[in-house]
Amino acid sequence: MVEIDPNKLEPGRTSVDHGLTARIKRSDPWRSAFRHAQIDTPRGRALQSFSNVFLHVYPVKIPKRVLNLRYSLRLGFIAAVLFGILLVTGIYLMFVYTPSVGSAYGDMQNLKTGVGFGQLIRNVHRWSAHLMVLVVALHLVRVFYAGAYKKPREFNWVIGVMLLLITLGFSFTGYLLPWDQLAYWAVTVGTNLVHYVPLVGGRLQDLLIGGPQVGQNTLLRFYALHVAVLPMLLALMLTVHIWRVRKDGFAVERTSVGTFSEAATERPAGAAPAAESMALAAPELYGGRVRLLGVVDRESITEAARPVDDTVFTWPHLLVRHVVVALGTAAVVLGLAVLFSAPLRGLANPNLTPEPAKAPWYFAGLQELLSRFDPLVAGILLPGGAVLVLLLLPYIDRNPDTRASHRKVAIALFSLLLAIAVILTVIGTFFRGPGWQFIAPWTHSYIEF
Amino acid sequence: MDDKSRRDFLRGGWKLGGALLIGAAGYTGYEALRPLASGAGGAKITVGKTSSFATDTNTYVSAGRMYIVNANDYLFALSQKCPHLGCHVPYCESSGRFECPCHGSIYDLAGEYITGPAPRGMDRYEVTLEGDNVVVDTSVLKAGPARGAKTFLTPPKGPSCIGKA
Repeated sequence: MVEIDPNKLEPGRTSVDHGLTARIKRSDPWRSAFRHAQIDTPRGRALQSFSNVFLHVYPVKIPKRVLNLRYSLRLGFIAAVLFGILLVTGIYLMFVYTPSVGSAYGDMQNLKTGVGFGQLIRNVHRWSAHLMVLVVALHLVRVFYAGAYKKPREFNWVIGVMLLLITLGFSFTGYLLPWDQLAYWAVTVGTNLVHYVPLVGGRLQDLLIGGPQVGQNTLLRFYALHVAVLPMLLALMLTVHIWRVRKDGFAVERTSVGTFSEAATERPAGAAPAAESMALAAPELYGGRVRLLGVVDRESITEAARPVDDTVFTWPHLLVRHVVVALGTAAVVLGLAVLFSAPLRGLANPNLTPEPAKAPWYFAGLQELLSRFDPLVAGILLPGGAVLVLLLLPYIDRNPDTRASHRKVAIALFSLLLAIAVILTVIGTFFRGPGWQFIAPWTHSYIEF
Repeated sequence: MDDKSRRDFLRGGWKLGGALLIGAAGYTGYEALRPLASGAGGAKITVGKTSSFATDTNTYVSAGRMYIVNANDYLFALSQKCPHLGCHVPYCESSGRFECPCHGSIYDLAGEYITGPAPRGMDRYEVTLEGDNVVVDTSVLKAGPARGAKTFLTPPKGPSCIGKA
């Protein structure tokens, strides 16, 4: 790498800076760690991405529209930020928590009363967890409506659905750890669902809770899943997820495929279809945009020759936005954590069912279904079917068009399912009281986050 | 042995080795997670004399996590675990029925299904009489009676604890 003196390249400077900071930055050890200075030239901005392993997940340049908040709502990035917050606060919690029936609850009380900022750390952890479930779900919804799961991103959608499931697994295993009544009965109800899986249900439930009922074995294995297995799985799959986002490009031309098919139908009769067959044979190669010059009118060529440089440098344009969004996320989580404390009910008591025993809010829709239908249908077939359809969605919906007006059926079906899921969740969360009776939520709230 | 067959052999060997490794990892995982046989449960419990269970009453036996009920002079040992989703089903004094607060399943004194999302009546342990002693074998939990069973059904004594008619 060419040696660059930062001071000589900095605009407006006439003499070499002899200050301590500048000297350090010129020293060999510093240069060995940070190979070049932050120089505000196109080359310098590109080097920021090239020579930094962390910035390497970004492309060096991105289309301008990616900077627009409305483009992605930054939901995937917010989810990743929340995961980061959860990782840090989770490590703090691990220092004070013992996964044992005898001491877990006491540790939670100690955290509240004896550890400085202990309750705040727990609140931040809990609120980040709730928000992560919400944000990951919204991310999925956003990607669906944008049609961003279509070729070539089918498999990244599948990985995304798996990440949603891992997020739910994180939240569910974490739910048990305080070992209070809320935790105990939510997990009892949740794990009893598994019993309804045909043929192997009983054995599966045994493996999940490690005994005839939720107890020490359950606590220990949920802890191991929560702090070791799931973090590794998530880190692994998140890496692939982000890597594929990067490799597939942040933005594809929304209407490219549609434009092509329209152009193809307008082809004069008798014109050679070679372009079409080439594109069909190797769509990755030709990007569905191949045309024989002879059959394309002048206007199309003009259109094809879009201005090449509709891009900006990731560093600093996208990066500064990401920093702002990350800070905003942290501020929201901190605000919630200061205003609303994570609940801690009485010590888990296997002989006293609270009224009502509610599952975590994201399973409240499932619980609502369970109160209406046979458990095999409501607990296994419907949610299992929904997950399966989500996983296979890119292979079921073969329509390559991403424009809303050209995928009315898919959007209508998805919106219907989404509405049902939201309504069931809202009813189960806010409108159900003791004995799962219908109540008006403004009379008394039986939900604790 | 020519080159091609040796190549095939090695190729197959890699796959076999990989499959064995995955199998071993899976089995080890299963062994680590499967519940070990424990002392709890499975014992025969003497819960009392027949005279201590009066007609149409129930007695909670915490050692077996169960109710001993005398319904119309028949003794049953009912598991406290709701056959729906495993909540502890409390006895409701005002209605004289077992009423699950989780999802609203209701059972009569003998644990027969009355209403709610449960697939069947409350599960039962085997009760035997040894002389005057009532003995419950907690090693075998028998699935509760099917939804249609109404042998011991009586009208509720009063209002429900979970607000159901």
